[in-house]
Amino acid sequence: MSRPDAIRAAALAAALCCAGALAQEDRLISGPGSTLTENKCKICHELQHIRRARLSPGEWGDNLRNMKERGTPMTDEEMRAILEYLAVYYNRDQPPPAPSPDTLAASGDDPIQTLLNANACNGCHAPDKRVVGPSFREVAAKYGSDRDAPARLATKIRSGGQGVWGAVPMPPNAAIQDADLRRIVAWVLEQK
Amino acid sequence: MDSPKKTDESRRRFLAGAAGAGTLAALGESATLREALAQAAPAPAAPPGTVTNEAIKAGKVPAMQYHSERPLTGSVPAFEQNFEFTPTDRVFVRNNLLTPDLDITTHRLTVKGLVDKELSFTVAELQKAFPTVTVAGMLECAGAGRTNYLPQASGTPWGPTGGMSCPVWTGVRLKDVLAAAGLKGDAAHVAGQGGDPGAVATAAPVIRSIPMSKAMDENTLVAWAMNSGPLPKVHGYPLRLVVPGWVGSASTKWLQSLTVLDAPFKGTYMTSSYVTPKWPVKPGEKMPPDTVSTQAWPVKSMITFPAPDQPFKGGERITVRGKAWVGEGSVARVDVSFDEGLTWHRAELERERDKYAWRTFSYDHVPQRFGYLTVLARAADDRGNVQPITPYWNPLGYFWNGIHRVGVMVVPA
Repeated sequence: MSRPDAIRAAALAAALCCAGALAQEDRLISGPGSTLTENKCKICHELQHIRRARLSPGEWGDNLRNMKERGTPMTDEEMRAILEYLAVYYNRDQPPPAPSPDTLAASGDDPIQTLLNANACNGCHAPDKRVVGPSFREVAAKYGSDRDAPARLATKIRSGGQGVWGAVPMPPNAAIQDADLRRIVAWVLEQK
Repeated sequence: MDSPKKTDESRRRFLAGAAGAGTLAALGESATLREALAQAAPAPAAPPGTVTNEAIKAGKVPAMQYHSERPLTGSVPAFEQNFEFTPTDRVFVRNNLLTPDLDITTHRLTVKGLVDKELSFTVAELQKAFPTVTVAGMLECAGAGRTNYLPQASGTPWGPTGGMSCPVWTGVRLKDVLAAAGLKGDAAHVAGQGGDPGAVATAAPVIRSIPMSKAMDENTLVAWAMNSGPLPKVHGYPLRLVVPGWVGSASTKWLQSLTVLDAPFKGTYMTSSYVTPKWPVKPGEKMPPDTVSTQAWPVKSMITFPAPDQPFKGGERITVRGKAWVGEGSVARVDVSFDEGLTWHRAELERERDKYAWRTFSYDHVPQRFGYLTVLARAADDRGNVQPITPYWNPLGYFWNGIHRVGVMVVPA
């Protein structure tokens, strides 16, 4: 590759990367409960479904009950927190407050928790109990300390899978950044 | 798709990026993880056993407008359906769960519940056992036209004419299949279940039931073909129910079982989704306790020619064309207006052929002035129903059947 070609390629890669990042910018307004809401809703659908139509608190309540019936893995307590968030930030009858830190998010300043939330891992996995998928501890034990464990886990996270833990398919995470994936893999494998 | 060259390039790109990040050494991982990250990059965007959005989109025209990727939803605007029937690559896309990748040689349909004997068919067996019929029929999402409602309701944001199609279906009559199994005396509903998986194991299966009267209609099919070709995967391959004229969710895709019941199926897709208030509610109110499950679409029409903003020369004849249909009954007439509804003109309406197919209407108009010209179409059925000025608002935004309106420009010759 000649030098000008390389520069053009780099510029193109940067442009594609930005375009990708913009297309993947599927977030809700940051506020208490926003992370939990994103994690649970993103399991099955894009968040634009929430952003598009602001509803009344009563309609959000119906909507959440409907989603729970359809199979969203969430406790009553989580459902209440999500309803409170939606009733404030996506309320048809009042403008949303300014974005603020999600004080309910488990992450705090923990960069790994931030990553797990941003990539919706926490929607289906918890440190030491089964939610939809296996706990992080179970995953770490299963993959063990083989030399190729990180590679296998990275592939699994990126491509999704089915059959290892039962019939539950894990959706693919094709868009996750390489650096983020490496950090998540390393952290998960330390959880045994 | 993956040439070795491409893989090499992506690996180089990755390595270049990783060198800057400098985190690999810290993890104590080398070649294998790097390989995995590089190789996994072009991963399929769908879980195993399901079809990727890219594969689905490859079977659709570029004019298809997608509203969401998870779940994949999309349709073409009205002027892109100016055909006798909807071509396969223009039929709208809407799933509740994921699109399964099923094998026609091993797929089976079982018939069970309140029947004299349970039956099980492969597609080939089904094709051999019963007469093949071909009918055109409307398939329309319950939420078609939803974005016309104010305030907005949640759900797929179908535009004024999004979420509706009328292809030609080939299959066997559901009533023939049920007769072969033998209905017990208390048989009242038939529930279809498809083989579509959810993103999580806890996902409720999509099960809808229809009353026996509709199941016995000779236009209700177990179908394997759309417009003479095999069903595309996203449209239910290899087998689906076709319950024409009724909300699309009744037409179970990837059909794997039919269960005969003595009452409507009780499940979330019958009682929480696809319901409307028994009595109209004030716009913006939540769903009241008394609801009814959605069935037939009310009378509706759309203009397929001209296209919005299409220019015409003054004195040039405009042959307005469109489609009109009703979920049960028959379209009695279609009127068009060129003055925002002040005066209406009766359009020519193609004779009825298949009962649940849309019918083409047309009307010749020579504009008498320049400037912006609007075309409105309004259909009426044989029961005295007419498309309303404002359809009743309902919390889930179903059954919008307001008047379609298209604006064009008439310019000096």
